[in-house]
Amino acid sequence: MTGRGCAALLIALAVVLSPVTGSAIFYIDINAPGGKRMPVAIPAFVVESGDRKLSEDFPKVIAGDLAMTALFEVVPSDAYLERIVPGHFADRPLSFPDWKMIGAEAVVIGKVEARGDQIAVEMRLYDSTLGRMMAGRRYTGPPHRFRKMAHKFANEILYAFTGVRGIFDTEVAFSATPEKGRGKEIYVVGLDGGDLRKVTENRSYNLFPRWSPDGDSLAYTSYRTGVPVIYLRNLQDGSERAVVQFGNTKSPGCFSPDGNSLYASVSVKGDTDIYRVRFNNSSYEKVVEGWGIEISPSVSPDGRKMAFVSSRSGSPQVYVKEIGSSGDRRISHAGSYSTSPSWSPAGDRIAFTSMTGGKFSIYTVRPDGNGQQLLASGDGDCADPSYSPDGRYVVYTFQKKGYSVLKIISADGRWGKTLFSGFSGVGSPAWSPRNK
Amino acid sequence: MSNARVWKWGVLVLAVAMVFSLGCAKKQTVTSEAPAPSAAAAGKESPAGVKSEAIKSEAAPGAGTKVAAAEAAAGMAATEEKASLFQDIRFDFDKSFIRDDAKPTLAKVAEYMKKNAGAKLSIEGHCDERGTSEYNMALGDRRADSARKYLASLGVSGGALSTVSFGKEKPLDPGHNEEAWAKNRRAHFVLK
Repeated sequence: MTGRGCAALLIALAVVLSPVTGSAIFYIDINAPGGKRMPVAIPAFVVESGDRKLSEDFPKVIAGDLAMTALFEVVPSDAYLERIVPGHFADRPLSFPDWKMIGAEAVVIGKVEARGDQIAVEMRLYDSTLGRMMAGRRYTGPPHRFRKMAHKFANEILYAFTGVRGIFDTEVAFSATPEKGRGKEIYVVGLDGGDLRKVTENRSYNLFPRWSPDGDSLAYTSYRTGVPVIYLRNLQDGSERAVVQFGNTKSPGCFSPDGNSLYASVSVKGDTDIYRVRFNNSSYEKVVEGWGIEISPSVSPDGRKMAFVSSRSGSPQVYVKEIGSSGDRRISHAGSYSTSPSWSPAGDRIAFTSMTGGKFSIYTVRPDGNGQQLLASGDGDCADPSYSPDGRYVVYTFQKKGYSVLKIISADGRWGKTLFSGFSGVGSPAWSPRNK
Repeated sequence: MSNARVWKWGVLVLAVAMVFSLGCAKKQTVTSEAPAPSAAAAGKESPAGVKSEAIKSEAAPGAGTKVAAAEAAAGMAATEEKASLFQDIRFDFDKSFIRDDAKPTLAKVAEYMKKNAGAKLSIEGHCDERGTSEYNMALGDRRADSARKYLASLGVSGGALSTVSFGKEKPLDPGHNEEAWAKNRRAHFVLK
C-alpha cells in the first residue's frame, strides 16, 4: 500500500469510526451564532404516481422548515444540473460532482408513489462531498398529510447535521374569529401555516387553548352554554368533557408535567386566584392566592416552580414562586403592565409581554429575575408569547389597530416570520409539545 | 514517505479526527434521542438505511360537548350585544372601582330591582382592547363584581344579581382611540 493510500485509509477510518466510538459526526454547531450556512439543494420530487403538485410542494415545506434554523441556505433550483429520476432510489448514484459544482454540500431527494388512497414517499439526504446518504425515510399515509411527512424529514435533516432533534412537525393552537363569523373558535395550524384544523364549532367564545403534556388534548374556556366552563378536548378521538365548572370567570393556564392536573385561574366570589384541578376526580385546591388578580400560571419543566401574574402592586406584574411554598419573587422589570408568562421548556428563560412606551413588547428573563432582554417589538402590540418545545422559538400575537396575526421569532431574536394571518381577533397561541 | 512516517501521520490524523468529533459532540446542549440509523460506510448507500414510518390521518374534529338547545342558544347569544334598560357605567383604565359618574345609573338600577321583586339582572364586565386577553377577562370579572357589590350595598338582593365577564372580546365601539376605549371599559346591565 502506498504512503498516500495509507493516510487516506486512516482519514476514512477516522470518519467512519467516530459513530462507533459513540459520537456521531455533527457538521454544524446548532448554538454557534452567525456561522456560514450549509448550502443544501432540494430538487423537485419525483412523482411516479399521484398529485404532480407534490413535486414542488415537498421541497417548499422542507425549505421553509430549514429556513427557521438560519443554519442552511437552499441553493436555487435553476442552478441544478442533474434531474432526479426513480433510478436514484434504486441503484443509480447521484452525480455528486454536479451538485458540488453548484455549491450544494447536501442534497435532499424524494419520490412519491400513490398506493390506493395513500401515498408512499421516500426521502433521502446525501452529503455530496462524501457521496453518502446521511438520512433516509419512507412515509406512508393519506395524501393530505404530506406536510407532516415533509416536516418529519426536515427533523431528520436537522438531526443529521447537528445531532439535535427538530420540532418542525409540532403545531400551534390559537383562538380566532372565523371568516364571516362571530365569537371565537379554536384552531390548530402547522408551522408552515398549512394543515389548518378547526377544533370548535359552536359560534360562541372559545378561548385560551392549552396543550396537555402528551400533545393529545387541549384544555380551553368556552361560553357555549352562555357561561364560562373549561373543557378538555381529546384531539385524537374527538371526545370532550367539562373539567372546571366551579366559580365564575375562568381560564386554563397549564397542565402539570405529569398530565394529571390543570393549573387554572378561576374567579370565586369576585376574586381571581390560581387553582390546581385534578382530572381524575375534579377536586381542586388553591395554589396562589391574593386580594388582587392572581392569574396565568406557567409551570417550570420540572413542575416545581410557577411563573404567574399578580396585580397586587397596583398593576399586573410577573412573579415566580416555588409551588407549595409561600413567598415569591417579582421577575418582570420592564413596563408598568406585564402579563402572559411562558416558561421555556428548556427551563432557562421565561417570556412575557410588557407595556413600555405605550405599546406591548415581548421580553425574556431568567427565572431568578435577572438578565431581562427585549425579544420582539414592532409598531403595534406583541403579546401572548408561547415557547416551542425545544425552547428555541417563541410564537406570539402581533396586533395593530384591529389587525392581528401570529408571528414566530427565534429565541435569539435573529430570525422571524409571520405564521398565520387572515382571520380577525387572532390570539392566545399555544405551541404543542413534541410529537411522540 | 517511509512506512513509519506514514503510520505516525496516520495515528496523528486519527487522533485529531476523534478528538474533533468528540469535541463537537460536547457542544450539543440539547439532548437527542437514539441516533438515526447510520448510513453504511463511506461511498455506499443501502435501501436498508431507509426507515419506514406510517402517518395516520388526523382524528375528525369531534362535535364537542353535547349541549341542550336552550344552552346552545345562550352560548351563541353571548356574542351579541344585548339591549338594556339602563346606561352602561364606565371605568378607568386597568381599574375596577366605582366612579362617581357611575353612581346615578347604579341608583336607577337598584331602584328598578327593588320595585320589581322577581327581576333577575346579569351584570356584564368589559374591557377595552388594550392589554392581554386573559388578564382582561379577570379585570372584566372584577368590574362586574364591583357593580354587583355596590348594588347589594344599595339593598338589591344578592340572589337577583349574576355577573359574567367578556374581557375585551365584545367591545361596544370598534374604534381604536381613547373615545372608543372609554366606552368599552364598562359594565352593562341586562335583565334576564
